[in-house]
Amino acid sequence: MGISLSKGGNISLSKTDPMLKNIIVGLGWDARPTDGIDFDLDASAFMVKEDGKVRSDSDFIFYNQTKSLCSSVEHTGDNRTGAGDGDDESLVILLDKVPTDIQRIVFTVTIHDAEARKQNFGQVSHAYVRVVNRETDNEVARYDLSEDASIETAMIFGEIYKNNAEWKFKAVGQGYAGGLSALAKQYGINI
Amino acid sequence: MEIRRGQRVSITELCQCANTQVLHVVLSISGIQDTVDFACFGLNNQQKLSDDRYMTFYNQPNSPCGAVKLIASALGSSTFLCDVAVLPQTIDRLVFTAALNSTETMHDIHNGYVCFLSANQEVARFSFSGSDFHDEKALMLGELYRKDNTWRFNAIGQGFTGGLAALVMHFGGDVIDALPPPVSRISLEKKVAALAPKLVDLAKKATISLEKHRLSATLAQVGLVLDASGSMYAQYDKGKVQQVIERLLPLAVHFDNDGALDVWAFSNKVLALPPATLRNYADYIASAEYGWRQWGMMGINNEPAVIEQVVKHYQNTTLPILIIFISDGGVSQNTVIKKLLVEAAKLPIFWQFVGIGGRNYGILEKLDTLPGRVVDNCGFFALDDINSISEQDLYERLLSEFPLWLEAAKLKGIIQ
Repeated sequence: MGISLSKGGNISLSKTDPMLKNIIVGLGWDARPTDGIDFDLDASAFMVKEDGKVRSDSDFIFYNQTKSLCSSVEHTGDNRTGAGDGDDESLVILLDKVPTDIQRIVFTVTIHDAEARKQNFGQVSHAYVRVVNRETDNEVARYDLSEDASIETAMIFGEIYKNNAEWKFKAVGQGYAGGLSALAKQYGINI
Repeated sequence: MEIRRGQRVSITELCQCANTQVLHVVLSISGIQDTVDFACFGLNNQQKLSDDRYMTFYNQPNSPCGAVKLIASALGSSTFLCDVAVLPQTIDRLVFTAALNSTETMHDIHNGYVCFLSANQEVARFSFSGSDFHDEKALMLGELYRKDNTWRFNAIGQGFTGGLAALVMHFGGDVIDALPPPVSRISLEKKVAALAPKLVDLAKKATISLEKHRLSATLAQVGLVLDASGSMYAQYDKGKVQQVIERLLPLAVHFDNDGALDVWAFSNKVLALPPATLRNYADYIASAEYGWRQWGMMGINNEPAVIEQVVKHYQNTTLPILIIFISDGGVSQNTVIKKLLVEAAKLPIFWQFVGIGGRNYGILEKLDTLPGRVVDNCGFFALDDINSISEQDLYERLLSEFPLWLEAAKLKGIIQ
């Protein structure tokens, strides 16, 4: 078990695990096992510059564009490798390959068609994001954000960012209304 | 304060008061013709009802510790008084629920709400309406839960099409996960206690047999075929067939995901009756389809017709099916019955024939050794009178062959 963070907390990944080269960012959640409309949640990543915007649409990694041009970020979708047991969706980040002009990578989860289905994060339980050392399978950090999720339909679960020579992880837990498109616009994507 | 579905809020915020421990929670639903059953489930940290006494409802209006009380009930509304400070540490969560018993669904709700009163003043309200739902028959409206030594409220507004039984199963333990037997025992007795207290004793006896035969976690559908030929007249007239319904219902409630016993009567022709449930069992034979005297039965017996109809009814079912087939004998169409049952051996149906007070059971008596079948899909035993053996013995005999078939059918890939 890695270091457990609360909303707003951050840790240095490099200091916590000096061997860290490549990471898996695992995201998970449970919808209540009730009989209503199914929940369809999607994880995405935004690779942004110092100014908080993407360089181009190709810096938006999601189910329809699962790999960045530089190959440093890859959405592996459903976890089939067995590593990072229990994650609903995961992304692999090759830290050394992240382009120098990318300052941070933001991990978000959105509820598909939330408006029409009248769904929000308050109806989802055990939502979390965790960072795993890809080589050792060692969990470095985890943020359980169930209690921070309420009537939002899109949420930033967490982000990794460069701080001088080190990589840090921050537990964000910030929610938005308006779904994936609102979130994407904020980062400069044209949807 | 307006609370939206999915919203989480601390009770301090909810009541705008720092030290609130006592809450009046009013649950209300309008637009439903039949009664709405409201309840409060006290769950442990696994979100399970580990102690039956923490289901607070009309039949059990106080929790053992006195922390949860049903203090008022009216048509479509119930008020609970919750003193969370008094709750034992083992209770982590109070879930407020509503369940319907008729053909109506939560989509029929005109409007509904969960509201909180403090000093008789409404301080917060979570409103919902039928458009929030589809065909759910039971809802978790909202829950108060412990979090870091405080209590919070989450507006849930989600539920189950399976009604109260599905809800209780949700809280009582996941049957599919094959949890230890006590979990399903709680489910059966709890379900029966909630809806048909008169059958509690039967439910306990059924439970013992179910556990003994390792059937506690088995899901199945249960059907009952009733011989309604002329020779059965006295059995119906004296209420003995009604007793059969009562004795078999706990098994159906245990096995069945919808808690219902599918019933057919047959004589020359076949009549599919409405399912017997914990709601309608009490005068089932006298009232289903205007009562047995109006069924147009009491002629000769045509077993093949009913066997065909039962097979057809379950053709799209993936669960194993236990058919209890009551006959008083006089079986003559041996060749056709034999052919049908040999063909039916590849289906997920087990036929338990029970002879009552009759003779000349014909082929039924020889079913165990009927050749040409993939698995032995039939059992038979005869009684002089359904009431001549104890309930415990009856359950024992009804459940002795079914588990053997379950295993064999699994091996052959007939069931999963």
